[in-house]
Amino acid sequence: MTYLETSQAYLEQSAQLLQAYPETTRITTKYNFPTERPAQVLKRTKSQSKLQPTKPPSTEPPTAPIASLTLKTFNPESGITIQYRTNKLQEVGRLMTGLGKLAAGADVASLGLSAPGVAGAADVEMTDAPAEGTPAPVPAAKGKKKKGGKK
Amino acid sequence: MAPHLGNEEFFSSLTDLLAKTTEKARGSVTLSQKPLIENVTNSQPSILIRATDGNTSAPRVKKDGKVVKGKASKATRVKFSTVVTADELEAFYTRYAEICKTGMTGLKKRDRKRKAKGKGGAKAAKA
Repeated sequence: MTYLETSQAYLEQSAQLLQAYPETTRITTKYNFPTERPAQVLKRTKSQSKLQPTKPPSTEPPTAPIASLTLKTFNPESGITIQYRTNKLQEVGRLMTGLGKLAAGADVASLGLSAPGVAGAADVEMTDAPAEGTPAPVPAAKGKKKKGGKK
Repeated sequence: MAPHLGNEEFFSSLTDLLAKTTEKARGSVTLSQKPLIENVTNSQPSILIRATDGNTSAPRVKKDGKVVKGKASKATRVKFSTVVTADELEAFYTRYAEICKTGMTGLKKRDRKRKAKGKGGAKAAKA
């Protein structure tokens, strides 16, 4: 499953999916710590101490892995999934506010993002050739899906 | 499924859940949002917000009342939800975003620069 490059593209495409299927589309947000094998923990701890040879971090235990935040917009009817993943705390506020706007039924224009919706969708590299006159982001996600309603 | 919590209860439960997960530094918190389709056709549907720790190895109760035992029967699964009406959405999400921001501290911090680390002065200057 592919992830979009920018949160802006994620929010814009989600808005379009929500507009197309307002009743069945759901958004899940996952705050996740990676599970690590003991060997991986060792490796990470080692590389961390290598980067800070003199000052081991005292504020937080070196054994804490960095969590990630995954946002997924999924529509079971069409099987379209739009995903975005980040590990930056500074993005959380903006993303959640964006989700609030999506929940309120905001369209691409009213998301208040810098670029207009069409340009934002065109920025996404993974966009396949649009097919059957559907909006551009929809086939983009369609090509990548592995599961869902297409049978 | 337990009945929906009030918005305030939901916030306090979510704060707890995020804090616990961050403290343990393992596992995950999954939040979902979707429109609540009622028989009444409003112009703007309410939004159902769910939160869970996704602990699928914990025992769970099926719809018909059967208890399905997971791999770890002693573990508990945290699961709660709330309903937000359309006119409360904005206020709700302001709080919601705030709680996520303060709770998800396991993510990379902006000022987590390796050079600046350990310098007390740098932190104070930013704050």
